[in-house]
Amino acid sequence: MTLLNDEIVQNVKDMLAEIPNEVTLTVFTDDQNCEYCTEIVQLVNEVAATSEKVTVEQYEIHKDNDRAQALNIERAPAIAITGERDYGLRFYGIPSGYEFSTLLHSIQAASSGNTDLDDQVKSFLSDLNKPVNLQVFVTPTCPYCPRAAVLAMEMAIVSDLVNADVIESAEFPDLANQYNVMGVPLSVVNNQERIEGAAPPHMVVDAIRKALAA
Amino acid sequence: MFDFKITDSKPKKQTEGGLYDIVIIGGGPAGLTTAIYTARDGMKTLILDRETTGGLAATTELIENYPGFPQGISGMDLMDRIRQQAERFGTEIIEFEEVRAVVPVEEGLIEVHTEGDQVFQGKTVVIATGSEPKKLGIPGEDELYGKGVSYCATCDGPLFKGKDVVIIGAGNSGLQEGIPVLEYANHVTFLEFLAYSRAEQILQDRVRAHEKSTLIFNHRVIEIKGERAVTGVSAIDRETNEEKFFPADGVFIYVGYSPYTAFVRDLVDLNKWGYIQTDELMRTKVPGLYAIGDVRADNPAQMTVSVGDGTKAALAIREYLQNL
Repeated sequence: MTLLNDEIVQNVKDMLAEIPNEVTLTVFTDDQNCEYCTEIVQLVNEVAATSEKVTVEQYEIHKDNDRAQALNIERAPAIAITGERDYGLRFYGIPSGYEFSTLLHSIQAASSGNTDLDDQVKSFLSDLNKPVNLQVFVTPTCPYCPRAAVLAMEMAIVSDLVNADVIESAEFPDLANQYNVMGVPLSVVNNQERIEGAAPPHMVVDAIRKALAA
Repeated sequence: MFDFKITDSKPKKQTEGGLYDIVIIGGGPAGLTTAIYTARDGMKTLILDRETTGGLAATTELIENYPGFPQGISGMDLMDRIRQQAERFGTEIIEFEEVRAVVPVEEGLIEVHTEGDQVFQGKTVVIATGSEPKKLGIPGEDELYGKGVSYCATCDGPLFKGKDVVIIGAGNSGLQEGIPVLEYANHVTFLEFLAYSRAEQILQDRVRAHEKSTLIFNHRVIEIKGERAVTGVSAIDRETNEEKFFPADGVFIYVGYSPYTAFVRDLVDLNKWGYIQTDELMRTKVPGLYAIGDVRADNPAQMTVSVGDGTKAALAIREYLQNL
């Protein structure tokens, strides 16, 4: 039984038909404690089957600890979306519901290395000189969450100093508790600045500015 | 158990600029419907939305009474389709652009000024800003927003897996949006001010039949308690005047909606609840300025009616532009 129905598969094919460069989906499972690891592996393989340019690598987070460390992955299930280089795009949990869109957009962005961000935002990001970690907490049922998630991922594409972790909150309750996530989307910049809701790019830029000034 | 959705996830911002035939403020069901008609008719059409398009309808988990979808459809999916339909005919859409003022300059020219200091020009302007969830205005509501207080059960429901939730308001919205929360939560208590529910019977039946729900009527919520996070809700039993405490980790508020009209308050006629008054052709008292959808007086806040409003405005605008 496939996870994606024929209509969705066709849409995914269309979306990925013209991606220029190869993309690797590196998926990390956890043999000890993982509710949806089987499904996440199946999902990335079904997505990869729609495009010659998308390949899947699969690891177990404890057994392949070196690989996990190399990609800065501390928990599973996780997907690292890498193109010609590693832009720092990570998805934690299964990208189901509306978050499936986030996965597809991240594949497009990692493949092309291009974004729709405007020049002002790009120039701000290019001028960064300190690392910026964007964590975006989402749920699969939240229609606005992909906006926040894709924005963070696009920012990571522009600057090597920015990385974007999109986290399915319900699958990582400990992390959601730690960050006191009670509403989504919630973006957290460098563990300090919080942005609630699907904010426009300039608001995220402001939050980055504040976080770096602190 | 999983479903997978593909939506457009990037802010819309492309625009040609210049003088538009129609500038529509608000990209919900009403505004997008006008755009489908006017853009298809070859009129230069722009939609401005202060957030993302889709309006309140997009946050509705399941819409079951919109014709053409026998199994129901998620609000976001339906709104995505409607937006694509408007775009197919050339509607331009700009998101995250909040309107500050509407300024009629002369017959056939109305300016729309935005918070982003942009000015858009339209021969006609349509106000389709809808309404936003009403606040209770009680202690704890603002302080605990994002810390357990939420106005979007569809978005935040999954965060309360195995936890206790209070939903304030047992009308259509409260019950409709509370039903999916029942799937996640340990228990959901619905607190209603009135002695009965004004919701559709089918929704009441579903909630009553659910083992994890309690419906409590005739209670006035006075405070949401908690410091770092919500701990519960205090309410007065209107019959006995006794104060009661309902422990909860999450509180969803569905006590009605307020029209979003601040930016045109001095320009058009509002009824006593703040909704914009129009004639049957959706015209306000300002020539070339129309109001449609939930923001309009006498609209029962149903999507099918908003779509009808959008259509009426489009037809009226066509005639207005022909005679300009």
